[in-house]
Amino acid sequence: MLTVDRRTFVKSAAMAAATAAAAGTARSFALPVLEGSGLRWEKAPCRFCGTGCHVMVATENGRVVAIQGDQKADVNKGLLCVKGYHVGAILYGEDRLTTPMLRRDGRLAPISWEEAIGIIADKIAENPKGFALYGSGQWTIGEGCIGNKFMKAGLGSNHIDGNPRLCMSSAVTGFLSTFGVDEPPGCYDDLDRCDVAIMWGNNMAEMHPVLFSRLVDRRTRGQKVTIIDLTTRRTRTSEFADHVLFFKPHGDLAIANGIAHLLIRNGTFDRAFVEQHCNFRQLGPASEDGSAPAMLGVPMTFDEYAKAVEPYTPEKVEELSGVPADKIRMLGEMFGRRDVRINSLWCMGMNQHTRGTAINCLVHGIHLLSGHIGTPGNAATSLTGQPSACGTVREVGTLCHLLPGGRVVTNAEHRREAEELWNVPEGRIGATPGYHTVEMFKRFNTPTAEGGDITTMWVQVTNPGQTLPNLHRNFRVKKDLADKFLIVSDVYPTATTELADLVLPSAMWVEKNGMYGNSERRTQQWFKMVEPPGEARDDAWQMIAVSRRLFDMGHEGMKGRDGRWIYHTTDKAGREVPIWEWDRYYDVNVDERMFEEYRPFTRLKHKDLAPYQEYVKARGLRWPVVQQTDGSWRETRWRFSGFDDPYVGKGKDYQFYHSVTKDDKALIWFRPHEFPPEMPDAEYPFWLCTGRVLEHWHTGTMTRRIPQLHRAMPKAYVEVHADDAARLGVRNGEVVTVKSRRGEIDLPVWIGGRGDPKPGEVFVPFFDEGRLINLVTLDEYDPYSRQPDYKKCAVAIVRKA
Amino acid sequence: MSHEHARRRFRGEIAWTGMVVGLCAAVALASAGAGTTRPMPVGADDRAAPAVSAAWLLSQPAVNIVPAERANPGSTDDKFTARVRSMEKRAALRAYEGAPPVIPHSVGELKYQTCRACHAQGLRAGEQVARMASHTHLTNCTQCHVAAAGMFLGHDAGPANSFVGLRASGYGSTRAWAGAPPVMPHTTFMRTNCVSCHGEHGYDGWKPDHLDRTNCVQCHAPAASLDQLSPVFGEDLLRVFTSPRP
Repeated sequence: MLTVDRRTFVKSAAMAAATAAAAGTARSFALPVLEGSGLRWEKAPCRFCGTGCHVMVATENGRVVAIQGDQKADVNKGLLCVKGYHVGAILYGEDRLTTPMLRRDGRLAPISWEEAIGIIADKIAENPKGFALYGSGQWTIGEGCIGNKFMKAGLGSNHIDGNPRLCMSSAVTGFLSTFGVDEPPGCYDDLDRCDVAIMWGNNMAEMHPVLFSRLVDRRTRGQKVTIIDLTTRRTRTSEFADHVLFFKPHGDLAIANGIAHLLIRNGTFDRAFVEQHCNFRQLGPASEDGSAPAMLGVPMTFDEYAKAVEPYTPEKVEELSGVPADKIRMLGEMFGRRDVRINSLWCMGMNQHTRGTAINCLVHGIHLLSGHIGTPGNAATSLTGQPSACGTVREVGTLCHLLPGGRVVTNAEHRREAEELWNVPEGRIGATPGYHTVEMFKRFNTPTAEGGDITTMWVQVTNPGQTLPNLHRNFRVKKDLADKFLIVSDVYPTATTELADLVLPSAMWVEKNGMYGNSERRTQQWFKMVEPPGEARDDAWQMIAVSRRLFDMGHEGMKGRDGRWIYHTTDKAGREVPIWEWDRYYDVNVDERMFEEYRPFTRLKHKDLAPYQEYVKARGLRWPVVQQTDGSWRETRWRFSGFDDPYVGKGKDYQFYHSVTKDDKALIWFRPHEFPPEMPDAEYPFWLCTGRVLEHWHTGTMTRRIPQLHRAMPKAYVEVHADDAARLGVRNGEVVTVKSRRGEIDLPVWIGGRGDPKPGEVFVPFFDEGRLINLVTLDEYDPYSRQPDYKKCAVAIVRKA
Repeated sequence: MSHEHARRRFRGEIAWTGMVVGLCAAVALASAGAGTTRPMPVGADDRAAPAVSAAWLLSQPAVNIVPAERANPGSTDDKFTARVRSMEKRAALRAYEGAPPVIPHSVGELKYQTCRACHAQGLRAGEQVARMASHTHLTNCTQCHVAAAGMFLGHDAGPANSFVGLRASGYGSTRAWAGAPPVMPHTTFMRTNCVSCHGEHGYDGWKPDHLDRTNCVQCHAPAASLDQLSPVFGEDLLRVFTSPRP
């Protein structure tokens, strides 16, 4: 076996030498070193979460063969998590969708792209107002630009929403309520500078592990970082925490108010900062029709605010939240100190909350009240779950009430600007917001005759068949409704394609050009590296092809002011390129063309983006990216802070220049503690919390096809506290039924498992399409963000007979 | 031809079978500026300097390949065979060269400190070896390393995946000439603790005969052609990225 032909041998050695010499050309890097002459290393942001790590992708003979953390990337500095290290394998699951398929007689059968595009165009032409587009925080920025323009400027319809509605819209309403403009003022650099990191219901060790390492690895460098874990269950994050403070579900509002109470009572709030830079707010009275009071509320004085938080004594907070009064005092004292830098971090715990906007506002509020904001290490930072929830959805504005660059459809001036920049006739954009996610799916899952006015839906790059709350009501009704048509563009069969009438195979990640925008305002770019399998094609192209078909059919909406097609694209010589033809699509960089069309939109809210080519050179840039006198482009790390943000007036320390109150001041909100809409009772005695695990990304459609990840975490389970298990008489591994008023599923019990809930609480991850916990969850949502609460509902645990 | 044969493709299976040896030794170990390879006399390996002229020695390129004749599969004390076997051992736990290895045993779900019990210093228990962590500054071990099989929940065959990972053959040397200390054939990023692989509990075939010497980088230089791109995990990087407001 161990024989070798000497000639092969010497030849190989020569090749190896040549490889080493050739390394280091413009688009390749001499990363570790291995055999392989055709190896090419290129940068790309990771496909998974909102952290926005950069990876180096090695391709050889048209296939991805290895991944490395990108050492040049500011976000991850060469490190990845286990998902990131295995991201290359997401392209190679053997059940990739490779051909368009139409449901005939209950079965999906292959059809041609030509037919598929025609079917979609006909469905839209039939009933344009009954068509809805459901997109994603995994859409690239270019795809978001195309989808948004298609709906709002093309069809004149605002029925476009995206899955970030389920993921971070409460963070958006929190930023809007507080600063008058979306997205965090701070950035990840705060993780390197803070003395205290507070996890607000945030299992960062599993959900944003690279950022968590950025924090905890400071300890091995001899720095002191105090981690406070405010949580309802023990997690891997708790294991690194100095203080683990368990609170009752929904008790977070009481904790925040308790901190505010102590800051005021002890006189330790930052009086100078508050006087110069803050106003106070509360909600007005509820409207007569019973709808929630207006989001931006009514002013209140400092004295009124102080009186409002007065009842939240440490003892009262202990009663409401379950956190001991002396620990509340510890938090209050910490916020009262000027010499401690505090970084609050949160994700789904605060956002998937029927009072998500309120708790987001309160956390910003205690940071403002104590002046713990705007200097390195002092920040309140929301972390996103998807790679471009910020870039594509919040910034491009692919939600039913938004227009690009922080504009809203209800503002006539914003609509006029958007029509101008999109070059479409005035009056094209509708003034009424479309349906938000839950409403959109409720309408699609209601018979047309009974008010279900959404009849055709196109879902791209997301899996609502697994992620919507209360799936029986919000997704699966469709199955028996003959006049509803579901189109799904995806890369693998999913719980959503299961009910689809038309399935389109998509190109993914490095099979296409793309741009993402991460949690810290960083815009990232990558180039296509390998070909998609079979007939899979870019999601962007799919929308463009349908638009062109409608244009050719004479659809007025697909024409701009000049009568030309709304995606009219030319080459350098000014000749039109037929990008609706797949074999011509990559003749130009459509991504760059759409990005450059979108860029002027970003100026209004000072979210300035640099030209596309700047992102080609960089490992992402954080907006506002402003051109310098020498022609270079400079990113901004701390927004609203005089020492870093070029839009802050000269000589000012802080300026909240998009202030709700138009006086450059941020708002400190009072929001009372309230009880959640559904709580455990005799019939359903347990709190159910749902969430994620380290190994799988969201619905697991990609990560469950990677052997290393699938084997490590093969299926969903229900975490039960040992005392509850003993009382119920269930053993570790025993399959039980988890049941709510809405649905039930069977799951194995895990006692002392990945996480450890408190007695009376259970936890189930949502990654497993074979065990859909969202058949059980509640679809109540926050009245402002319309984000459902996946973290709290009442369930029973029933032993199998 | 060539390296295609030398690489065992990883078809989504933990078990990595077959020997890599043989057809190629093309780990790209060459230090920068390596030129052409010249025919070398039998015996010109890095175990024993051959009886050849000093001029010939100095003329040798950085890639100094071990002749196959010297790799004897039947001999457990053969250093080169041992190296190849060690490479296989590593590959069995990795999706590709450079991927974090999966954990070949069950793990405590919550207690990260349990990793350190064995992997902080490394230990040997019978045939089992717990290697010392090669990047001791990182403490969230399970961020990158997951169990090869979720023990409690059991596992099935899993989804079919045709990803084929890059492989290193483990066969070759990076000496400038016979007798010179070899240059490190791999990146030093995340591999800052040499004894992890080269120490007492390290891999067969990779242990030096001078374990008493502890300042490894005194003689073994990082390969300039590899990834020494930037300072990482330090304040330096922060300074680099900090530019004062204009």
